[in-house]
Amino acid sequence: MKPQTSSQAGTFESSDVIFLIEPLPEKSGRKIELFSTVLHQYGESFKKTVVEMLDQYEMTDVHLIARDKGALEPTIKARLETAIKRSLGIHEGTVI
Amino acid sequence: MNFEDTDFRQEAIDLENPFDVKLVKDFLLQLGFEFDPSEVECTMIVYNLKGELVGTGSHQGRILKYVAVAPKFRDTTAFALVVTYLTEKLLKIYKHTFVFTRPENAVRFRGLGYTEIATAEPLFTVLEFGFESIRTYQKYLKTLIVPAETSEIASIVVNCNPFTNGHKFLIEKAASENEIVYLFVVEEERSVFSFAVRWELIRKGIEHLSNVVMIKGGMYVVSGAIFPSYFLKCETADDIMQKQADLDVTVFARYVVPVMKIRKRYVGTEAYCATTAAYNESMKAILPGHGVQVIEVERKAIDSGNDGPPNYISASKVRQAIKEDRLKDVLDFLPDSTREFLMSDDSLAIRSKIKTGQGRH
Repeated sequence: MKPQTSSQAGTFESSDVIFLIEPLPEKSGRKIELFSTVLHQYGESFKKTVVEMLDQYEMTDVHLIARDKGALEPTIKARLETAIKRSLGIHEGTVI
Repeated sequence: MNFEDTDFRQEAIDLENPFDVKLVKDFLLQLGFEFDPSEVECTMIVYNLKGELVGTGSHQGRILKYVAVAPKFRDTTAFALVVTYLTEKLLKIYKHTFVFTRPENAVRFRGLGYTEIATAEPLFTVLEFGFESIRTYQKYLKTLIVPAETSEIASIVVNCNPFTNGHKFLIEKAASENEIVYLFVVEEERSVFSFAVRWELIRKGIEHLSNVVMIKGGMYVVSGAIFPSYFLKCETADDIMQKQADLDVTVFARYVVPVMKIRKRYVGTEAYCATTAAYNESMKAILPGHGVQVIEVERKAIDSGNDGPPNYISASKVRQAIKEDRLKDVLDFLPDSTREFLMSDDSLAIRSKIKTGQGRH
């Protein structure tokens, strides 16, 4: 699916993560910038979670920025799902 | 047992309400800030259910200001709350946000994911966060690089408010002495002549120079984010202004110079304005360390016909003349493009703005 608008979800707080998503022109691919305070320990699994969810929503041309302060996997998934749905304009039940 | 009470509430305050303003003002005063409500667009506070003020933050445009948390709450999430609130709001409008803070506090913003751009000890550090960053600007710069055979690559930064023969002289001189001249035009919309107008007048005025490349200054070359003093009054040069000038020059030296392989920077001598004079000082202090020679060119003067002091060309004199309705006196200062523009009806709105305005720009 193609993101419609730029969007964000999450906070800068400890144990949370903030995601920013921005649509890119078609065929430009994914540009992903992950920063995490626990990148050394959990960077791989963090990356995997993000890529899997982007795959699930078939988002190919997207600029994604993440600033993580040690969020647990369910938190990461929830924040990313919200950011994706907001960017797709299908965020039923979530406040913009 | 002691437990952390993090049941914080956040709220934007009403800047029109003197009680709200006083609340924030008193709070910030204890922490060493002089809160000036005219310098912000929006202010938010964080408080708890005991009615204690926990922290506050404001913004003006895309710049975060007056972010502070009471000492007693510094172990809590309050600081992240304030920054999240402001960043979230700003990133809906702008592509990125800036923070201007003291170097010792920069670590707190870095901890949240802000990236440091430059520091001018001991007063300022600039950090940014968002969809775009200084890398985006560097990418834009890379698209404009002209392959050079020699190392005779020069740069000039101009605001041109408006474009005068003085600017033209400086650009022509640089163009004749170098293989390539990169001309950075300040993009910030804080001058009476809009960026589009300034850009167009310069473009027309230097059409005959094939080795000059015009570049937008973006958010990084003399911008309101990094060098706000430039757009304020210019009577006194103080530490704050000098340090902001340092910051601007450092950003130029660190991020622009290596990409464009710039070896020289041309500037005009400054006789009138303390801000620009301070800016020239910063350039002389910082740029040579990055392999950039600063070439100060004597400002061009109009022959006044007698032995009086030289009549230097200056854009501020042009604006003054417009204000006093005696454009005729400064026609010698103006290249064709600017003269035609000022004589035409296209400039009516700008001229009337100058006549009623009071600011330096």
